[in-house]
Amino acid sequence: MMDSGMGKPGSPADRKGSLVFSRKVGENCRHIAVELSEATAPSAPGQFFLVREWGVFDPLLGRPLASTASGDRRLEFLFQVTGRGTSRLASLPPGAALELRGPCGNGFPAPVGEKLLLVAGTLGIAPFLGAVSALGEKVDVTAVLGVPGRGWEPFAEWCEDKIPGIRLNSDDGSLGRRGDPVEDSLTLVGPGRELWGCGPEAMLRELGRAYEKGCEKVLVSLERRMGCGIGGCLSCSITTPSGMKRVCVDGPVFDWREVFGEPLRN
Amino acid sequence: MSPFGTSLRTEVGGVDLDTPVIVASGVWPMDPALWPEGSLDGVGAVCSKGLTLKPRDGNPGCRIVETYSGVLNSIGLQNSGVDHFVAQELPALSFAGRPIIVNIAFETLDDLVEAVEVLKGSALKISALELNVSCPNVSRGGMTWGIHPDSLESAVTAARRAWDGILWVKLSPQAPSVGEFAELSQGCGAEAVVVGNTWLGTAIDNERERPFFENVFAGLSGPAVFPLALRAVWEAAGAVEIPVIGCGGISRPQDALSMILAGASAVEVGTALFVDSRLPASTCRELERHLRKKGLSSVGDLVGRARR
Repeated sequence: MMDSGMGKPGSPADRKGSLVFSRKVGENCRHIAVELSEATAPSAPGQFFLVREWGVFDPLLGRPLASTASGDRRLEFLFQVTGRGTSRLASLPPGAALELRGPCGNGFPAPVGEKLLLVAGTLGIAPFLGAVSALGEKVDVTAVLGVPGRGWEPFAEWCEDKIPGIRLNSDDGSLGRRGDPVEDSLTLVGPGRELWGCGPEAMLRELGRAYEKGCEKVLVSLERRMGCGIGGCLSCSITTPSGMKRVCVDGPVFDWREVFGEPLRN
Repeated sequence: MSPFGTSLRTEVGGVDLDTPVIVASGVWPMDPALWPEGSLDGVGAVCSKGLTLKPRDGNPGCRIVETYSGVLNSIGLQNSGVDHFVAQELPALSFAGRPIIVNIAFETLDDLVEAVEVLKGSALKISALELNVSCPNVSRGGMTWGIHPDSLESAVTAARRAWDGILWVKLSPQAPSVGEFAELSQGCGAEAVVVGNTWLGTAIDNERERPFFENVFAGLSGPAVFPLALRAVWEAAGAVEIPVIGCGGISRPQDALSMILAGASAVEVGTALFVDSRLPASTCRELERHLRKKGLSSVGDLVGRARR
């Protein structure tokens, strides 16, 4: 018989929070910090929270956001305004009450080796911001970012400020290298270097080419529309070679092969 | 032991509950280890996910779209099948220490009877079977079981014959008359009716100029449907002697109280748990507060009080 406090250590909880700051990062992105009313379980890079305005039924659902920094009672998030929920979140003033469920899902496990390559497509950088600070000097980290072009300059500068030395790529060549972050990352991978990816699914699929270069481990963080965030409603189910998986609890971080199957090898 | 007092204890359609707040089918993990901290407080019983005889992968494509104060879902009864449920999920669910209500869905009566036979073989207690009649009847070209009287009657009768335990029927709000269909279920031997399920709706992706869902239509739930569900509960409670369990859009403790005052003997909460895992506990506090305020001793005294 269990009466409360269900779940394993580190399992999610619903918490009230207060918006500490909300800063524009370029045209359409926001960096926010939230102070929680009570501590939540520590979160690993890649884990996420469902974030919503407190006590509001419209919009209803929390938005799944990876925490970019986390402390006992303070969390930070980076998100793009794409619809009703995120524009509502972006419009809230400091002090606004929020509701958060988390930490949800499986984050990135500590890297096995000493070399790590992070590959992000635009907002896919979010979970890596926490990873870089969590890993500190212990791991040799190289980060690669891809953005569409000049319109993303303030965002790219913000990322460069957070992750000094980040390699910038743009589709039209107007910022950093011309090309996509996958091509750039493939010049860097090899045996002994683990690869983590977060971004559009087509990009994540392409990261499987890293295996051809001798990369032994490729982890990817997926994104899906979600309901409960804890594995109940099956709104975020995906079909994988090993059956149906829930992005919210079986992921969002998966081994590349678990999602896309056996990679092609030369 | 429930942290709530004996005033919330009730018996609904043959099931003894510590509180009248039930976790609805399809919203909460089948493994209590995944439930958020504190979310079991105030829960009187737990419904399983909609189960079918054989495992189902569910629907491809988009499965959830947010609407104004609500959610459209098209999960398509993804589940591991009754055999797996009995072997793996029921033992995990039972660990929660609450009565387990098994929600069962079916495309043919043969499937239904065979699934019930599997459930009868369970060593662990199933407190009630909740017959999901919102699934398609293959013999009628896929029309929902619960929207035609003959179809509903055949399903409830088959379930009644096959299952010797407690039988609840979870009615479809698409039925032409909730009261008549509740009465029909009662006549076929159901111990309670659950009123109701999600309301069919749809959403169009304007950019793609296509419906969001592969099946076009999807089930609407959440605060948006609460007044509709409350009306349906009122109608059903006026039509039957057996208990009515209110389900649909309950999002605040006050909503649950309204359902009970309208005639529900218990309530099921679903979509609201997506955003408030403490709703069962806060609902129990609200019910206790209201009982004290009105000088009543038992939640049973509240049932249908708005109908006086």
